[in-house]
Amino acid sequence: MTLMLADRPGELLKALQPIARNGGNIISIIHEREGATGTYVPVSLIVDFPSYENFRKARMALEDLDINIIKSEEVVERVRFTVLLIGRFDLKKILEAKIKDLKITGFEVSAPTSKEFCVRLNIEVPKGEVDSAVNELKKISREENVLFISSL
Amino acid sequence: MKAIIIGFGFIGKRLIEVLNQKISLLKRIDRSFKVIGVSDSRGYIFNPDGLDLKVLSKISGTHEYSRYFHEGSSLDLIEEGDADIMVEATPTNIKDGEPGLTYIRRALSIGMDVVTANKGPLVVAFRELKRLAESRGCHLRFEGAVAGAMPIFSLINECLQGDKIIKISGILNGTTNFILSKMHFEGSTFEMALKEAQERGITEKDPSYDVDGIDAACKVVILANALMDRDVRFEDVERVGIRGISPEAINLAKRANYTIKLIGVIDRNLEVAPKLVPLNHPLCVHGTLNALHIETDLAKELTIIGYGAGKETVSAIMNDIISVMKGRLAGQSSLTQS
Repeated sequence: MTLMLADRPGELLKALQPIARNGGNIISIIHEREGATGTYVPVSLIVDFPSYENFRKARMALEDLDINIIKSEEVVERVRFTVLLIGRFDLKKILEAKIKDLKITGFEVSAPTSKEFCVRLNIEVPKGEVDSAVNELKKISREENVLFISSL
Repeated sequence: MKAIIIGFGFIGKRLIEVLNQKISLLKRIDRSFKVIGVSDSRGYIFNPDGLDLKVLSKISGTHEYSRYFHEGSSLDLIEEGDADIMVEATPTNIKDGEPGLTYIRRALSIGMDVVTANKGPLVVAFRELKRLAESRGCHLRFEGAVAGAMPIFSLINECLQGDKIIKISGILNGTTNFILSKMHFEGSTFEMALKEAQERGITEKDPSYDVDGIDAACKVVILANALMDRDVRFEDVERVGIRGISPEAINLAKRANYTIKLIGVIDRNLEVAPKLVPLNHPLCVHGTLNALHIETDLAKELTIIGYGAGKETVSAIMNDIISVMKGRLAGQSSLTQS
């Protein structure tokens, strides 16, 4: 989203507070000084919100603060979920899987000394791709003879 | 109303005890209520004027009630034809539903209402039995067949009549919940937890029935057919059991605020599989408890928790018997729980 902020100290902080309150994680901030008009400067933000609802609430809170949102687009709703895989397998198989826009945002592996290897993956995919992602992970698990446990 | 009880095992005996304790409740609804026959593998006892529930409560087999004992089969007792309602409590057989399926078919076909807690006949021939009951104007009730004492069919059929059921998911097997709870809280291995479950007598004779998800899959089939107007069979359920769950896997789940439960899911697909359940999710119940989460178009989300097997199942059977009694008195039209 691009916000038109007054070019004075503290304005950016004021704008970031409702974003943070709604769980927004700032990916990038660009001051577009070449687009400044008088005392206002456009600031473009790429923000990762936990849900569309959080984004909507943050946008409303910004409007309540009289912050002018001049552009708000390219909302890509993504879903995060956790899976567990039990058994030895090559993690590359999942990284190379044909899952649209898959991101592994975190993982934890059982102690290397343990008899049964298992890994917990935090996965993120675009909303609407969850079923196909889970089906693809199930397929890989079957091929690798691994027990796949999805979240409820 | 005259009742016969087919099967004098754990559930049959417990039912007799409860009928004896609560006979005044039943008599208040129908003064003529009596149990006129009981059968087991040795034969049957039959007295058209009613059997003494106190005596029945004290015997371990029908042959001990020698005054009215007959060497014959359960089918012979059904064929005596005097009963209005048959409570079928024979052991579950999911391969062909027998012997319960034959008893239910026969009872319905001669116009007897039927109450059962036996999954086998319902898994094998739900549609057929439902049609038979409807064609004969008989009640067929089976609350105890799924999730024991939890009134899932009554809740949905009587309290959510305007709702469309979108999804049902839940813990449908108390034994696997006991095992996974032991692994979660005490760090037990699967083998240790299974052994403890066996020592406590809460597993089936063949534990694969529980731990490989067979029992839960049967319940998924019944729920799908009875509540979501599906026509599915046991083979349609994608099934994975809990044998492969390791303590390391439980630990990894715990560190991310999850636990692992064997969950049955009925939506577009039918599935029984271990799932990661958030620790704050309503389905995160422990020990031998069962839990069902129902998603509907109007009520949105409901969760029901309770004991799914054992002596508590008699609660569901009693409710079914009373519902049939009241239905008969009211000339009720709703005959089956679907």
